[in-house]
Amino acid sequence: MWDAALIALERFANPHHMAMLTAGVVAGTVIGILPGLGGIACVAILLPFIYTLDVHTAMILLVGSLAVVHTSDTITSVLIGTPGSAAAAATVLDGHPLAKQGQAARALSAAFLSSLIGGLIGTVFLTLSLPIARPLVLLFGSPELLMLCVLGLSFAGFLTGGAPLKGGLAACLGLLLGSVGSAPADAVDRYTFGQLYLLDGIPLVGVALGIFGIAEIVDLLAKGGQIAERIGLGSGWLQGVKDVVQHWGIVVRGSLIGVWAGILPGIGATAGSWMSYGHVVAMASDRERFGKGDIRGVIGPESANNSVEAGDFIPTLLFGVPGGAPAAIMLGALYFYGIQPGPRMVQENLDLIFTIIWSFAIANTMGAALCLFLSPALARLTWVPFAKLAPAIVVTIFFGAFQSSQQFGDIYAMLGLGLLGWLMKQLGWPRAPFLVGFVLTKPTEQYLWLSISRYGAEWLLRPGVIVLGLLLLASIFWIVFGKRAGENIPGEESTEGAIRLGKVPSVLFTLLVFVVVAAALYESRSFPYLGAIFPMAATIPAIFMAAAQIVLDARAPREAPEIEERKKTRLALGYFFSLVLYLLLILLFGFGIATALFIFVFLYGWARMAWFPSLIYTGVVVGLAVLMSWLLGLYWPQGVLLGQ
Amino acid sequence: MRIVRFMAGWQIRSYLTVIGLSFALAAPVLAAAPYYEGKTIEAIIPFPVAGGSDIWIRTIAPYLEKNIPGNPKFNFRNIAGGRGIPGMMEFALKAKPDGLLVLVSSATNYFPVLLGDKAAKYDFRQWKPLLVNPVGGVMYASPASRVKRVEDLAKAKDLFYGGISAIGLDLIPLITFELLDLDAKGVLGFRGRGEARIAFERGETNIDYQTTPAYNATVLPLIKEGKAIPLMSFGQLDDSGNIVRDPAVPDLPTVPEVYEKIKGKKPSGKFWETYKVFMPSAFAVQKILWIKADAPAEALRVFYTAADRLEKDKEFTVKTEKILGGYPLLRGDRLEKTIQQAFQIDAETQRFVKECVSKKYRVKFD
Repeated sequence: MWDAALIALERFANPHHMAMLTAGVVAGTVIGILPGLGGIACVAILLPFIYTLDVHTAMILLVGSLAVVHTSDTITSVLIGTPGSAAAAATVLDGHPLAKQGQAARALSAAFLSSLIGGLIGTVFLTLSLPIARPLVLLFGSPELLMLCVLGLSFAGFLTGGAPLKGGLAACLGLLLGSVGSAPADAVDRYTFGQLYLLDGIPLVGVALGIFGIAEIVDLLAKGGQIAERIGLGSGWLQGVKDVVQHWGIVVRGSLIGVWAGILPGIGATAGSWMSYGHVVAMASDRERFGKGDIRGVIGPESANNSVEAGDFIPTLLFGVPGGAPAAIMLGALYFYGIQPGPRMVQENLDLIFTIIWSFAIANTMGAALCLFLSPALARLTWVPFAKLAPAIVVTIFFGAFQSSQQFGDIYAMLGLGLLGWLMKQLGWPRAPFLVGFVLTKPTEQYLWLSISRYGAEWLLRPGVIVLGLLLLASIFWIVFGKRAGENIPGEESTEGAIRLGKVPSVLFTLLVFVVVAAALYESRSFPYLGAIFPMAATIPAIFMAAAQIVLDARAPREAPEIEERKKTRLALGYFFSLVLYLLLILLFGFGIATALFIFVFLYGWARMAWFPSLIYTGVVVGLAVLMSWLLGLYWPQGVLLGQ
Repeated sequence: MRIVRFMAGWQIRSYLTVIGLSFALAAPVLAAAPYYEGKTIEAIIPFPVAGGSDIWIRTIAPYLEKNIPGNPKFNFRNIAGGRGIPGMMEFALKAKPDGLLVLVSSATNYFPVLLGDKAAKYDFRQWKPLLVNPVGGVMYASPASRVKRVEDLAKAKDLFYGGISAIGLDLIPLITFELLDLDAKGVLGFRGRGEARIAFERGETNIDYQTTPAYNATVLPLIKEGKAIPLMSFGQLDDSGNIVRDPAVPDLPTVPEVYEKIKGKKPSGKFWETYKVFMPSAFAVQKILWIKADAPAEALRVFYTAADRLEKDKEFTVKTEKILGGYPLLRGDRLEKTIQQAFQIDAETQRFVKECVSKKYRVKFD
């Protein structure tokens, strides 16, 4: 085995291979930084280029890019509060508040370092487990996988901040949103309203970008000014390194959680990083700072999201079953070379496996270094008035969301969820449990379904299930009786805000939630048998919680929102309107013309930029979009009036 | 063809030579200006990147680019989701008679039509098949099921089969169980055949099927270790539309052969009718590249000629063997009748299937 490892390592002495790896790392870094584009986009975009390469070079390119996406996506998450990829949403929670407090450098260096270490631990684990990985994976049947998912869901309980009731409700809403679409086994289409788009459910990218991205962009725009005061990135770099050294335990645990989330089918990077975040909060003795800029909240998910990708390789290479969506595309690439991953891979293509492992390790290191090198410059973006940054970010998000499935539905969903996310933020509803619920619905439901239809009720008696069940009980016990979070008053910079909209909107919003949940419950009575379990499990408790919350809201002291807050709200709604307008323009005139119009009008009209710089800005963005599309053969959304 | 034979390996040098050569050879032809010269053909794939159909077209496209006069460039658009229907509709609505938009389809796109899904408002009769690629399926059991030979199936108890959905490809094995009257239960909800195979390996299920390429790569090693027993193939169609043994696994009996072995008579009845309707679109004509029927005749012709050339191209055969599953890339015009027939279903069989599936697997049809 070690011979093969050395032979594979020798490949990297070849400058051609190193150049490919560098190309992959650069591509991955850029794609990671662009909001909404993650590992899937990365591999999909590079795929057309590999068809002329030999298999080793191709894998070096693909793995090189994949290994750094979750390092560089941190930059966007921390600086702009918009997840660089769906998996980076957990980093937003604490990373972005740190940036607002002028500690961007600290957050970034801690994130890069823990990403790097997480990736390397993942690599080592991947290497060591090669001989035993197959039996290890086979140890986990559907019932055990189900219990793991439920355990992950229970972590949502730790993420409710100071509002357990709202947090629980948010988690239920996430579950409900996750059950939109065909139930596993296609038995029934739930909440699809006859829309084909909804059959497969709402894509994760749209949800993460809406709930965190759009909401944050609108909020920042309404606030005006820049993201952070110009106080310099300062000596924070070293502080970040110290933080990682101090919290080395979190790094190790986080990366192991990540590796496992990768190895087990159906869990993926996003769930992995949330589970890691949840475990950090659960195990912390003081939880007051989480969501307001606790460095541990950055280290946890960051150490997990890189190692997930390493773990992903195990089912992909040894079983021919992709551990996550990017791995599925890698699998496709391997098929293209006539390599069928599977049990024989270790015997027949061991050197290829090691090429992949080395690429991953080397790219990880290069990526962390590159990000460290880039971030002082990128961090300056937080000093730029945000209104000037926003158009470029919005265009990227829209284009990225459209590319994932080429359907406008993704953009509708993103905008709708953006409004929801913004409201949740303004009304003090934690958004983390919402995303955890959403991410874990599909696998949980799938494994519940499989467990019941294969074993009946007997699955509850399997030893693995009992062990995991005890863990689950301990976790629930800890949530209920563990140290309470204390006073927990969200501060100005925190991701999960205080109630800013006043009493009436608060009551109205909860009432709306109540109505939606009740309607969903009513609708679910027509779902057969297992298809109804999940919607009911989400809606029945939610109804009671919503009712209780309405009472709480109504009893809360009436505080008229300050005039400034009212102005901000009006502004925010205006910005929402401008996003909707952009969508309408795309629908009418197609992406190209709409983008040019939107950027120019936004800059000239709203941001009060002079007309000449606005024109140049518009030209540069549209030009870049044209260049990218021409290079990569991307398709532009076309309009009704002017399309072709 | 001489050009193609020249292309041994992917060395840049020979690559460049070929480009030069093709320019040289193309020069006299330029006078006639091939239809596709300097044009880009857009291929709609109603599935996500790196799905089976996506890999299929992306693999053969470079060879088509080389073998179609004028060397057009292929671009790909993946319109995923919605059971493939949005992608199909996009082609149905957007394709002009210029032959610059083509469509890749797979079994997932045929089943909604066969099952009478109202959302599937596309009509295959308005399109013409350019290229067709069959694929096969092989069933196998685990020793734990106490099935040693295919004859033992009849008395086997508690067979568990892992599938994705009763209205997808799994319909074929599920109908096979009914046809052969087996004590088998489908456990549905896996996200892919690969996941179902893992469940088979860990003993959660004990009877399974894989498409022939996956069978060769992942199940043959299991058979060698004694962890799986090959049973039967779903078969392929011969020129007159009869179900015959699969050339990729010629030693395995087909489903109708197994029926005869177990029951001692030729298969008949409603389940057999259903099998005959659904098997071809699931396997025998699974991957099809389509063009609008009113596309220029030359556009169709160049694709057919390209298929003829690729058939004799050793490099193509070797390089794409694993992806095409060892089956030839067939000319669409030769199979047109078979294909259009495969998408016909009589109202009675349709009603029967829907009833059967909704009763046993709780599928709700609109």
